[in-house]
Amino acid sequence: MRNVLFSAILLLFFGGLLYLAADLPFGHPPRTDMDDYYIRHAQEQTGANNVVTSIVFDFRGFDTLGEATVLFTAVLGVGMMFRKLKEGEEYEND
Amino acid sequence: MKMTKIVRTTADLFFPFCLVFGLYVVVHGHLTPGGGFQGGAVMATGTALLLVARAYDDVTGRIRKGAMKACEAAGLLIFLCAGFSGLFAGRPFMANWLAPAGQWFRTFVAHGPNPGDLNTAGLLPLLNFGVGIEVLGGLTVILLYMLSGIKEEKK
Amino acid sequence: MTLFLLVQALVLLGLIVTAVLIISFKDLLAAAIAFAAFSLLLSLEFYLLQAPDVAIAEAGIGAGLTTAIFIIAIRGTQRHEEKT
Repeated sequence: MRNVLFSAILLLFFGGLLYLAADLPFGHPPRTDMDDYYIRHAQEQTGANNVVTSIVFDFRGFDTLGEATVLFTAVLGVGMMFRKLKEGEEYEND
Repeated sequence: MKMTKIVRTTADLFFPFCLVFGLYVVVHGHLTPGGGFQGGAVMATGTALLLVARAYDDVTGRIRKGAMKACEAAGLLIFLCAGFSGLFAGRPFMANWLAPAGQWFRTFVAHGPNPGDLNTAGLLPLLNFGVGIEVLGGLTVILLYMLSGIKEEKK
Repeated sequence: MTLFLLVQALVLLGLIVTAVLIISFKDLLAAAIAFAAFSLLLSLEFYLLQAPDVAIAEAGIGAGLTTAIFIIAIRGTQRHEEKT
């Protein structure tokens, strides 16, 4: 009984979401002023044929720096978790 | 769980091709789809293939943890130095000061579709390379740590 | 246009089938391989929607590295799901 109720609520929820999403226009507005600027000026300002790379590494280079730092910190965290324990040292939550 | 000979041979065979394809994606980052992160992930997939197929003691000769750590740190350092080099050229941080004119990576690019030239895009190839080896080093170090943590039963 | 829609419908159907397979397999190695197939189909879908950058990232991270991490974890623990 509870399962049926749960399934019905879930179906209703997703059906409502799909119904709402069906009305959304896909790819609208087709382009904004910022897209226009990037598409027109990316090649001459950065010299890269790949506009995506010119945005990721040049116009939004600071974000990519943050992403690289996040990856570095993640590897540091994994290294701390898997480090070799010294003699007589124990994990805190053992 | 020990992998069969078929898996090990296939992994050995695919490993260099994965590395070369990843390096291609990294180097052509400013011309074709892909870039530093994607190319680094492809290269790390090559090393992951080798790590999955073999035991930890078998791979340490070919993939060294120290070298991978050095790769990771060097990648982030290259990125930071390329960013700060804009300050010495009298431009803001992370500015693409190499792009307009000169010898290295400075060929003029026409607007619109064109075949492309590796010698373009100023700082972008350098940044791509830095991020590429950082992703390769970082993901491989994570996998190596995980693999060294498990205890394999003797064959 | 019809062919494009047909291929896309096939890929989306395959996505749903592999997603159901992932949670229904009791053999964890088979579930990891089904996850790799799911990621590969997802990257194909990204490519069909003209996002090749995301497709390469998805194929590398999803189909390659995540599967490798899962397989290494299965090597460290046990292959079959425990009956509860």
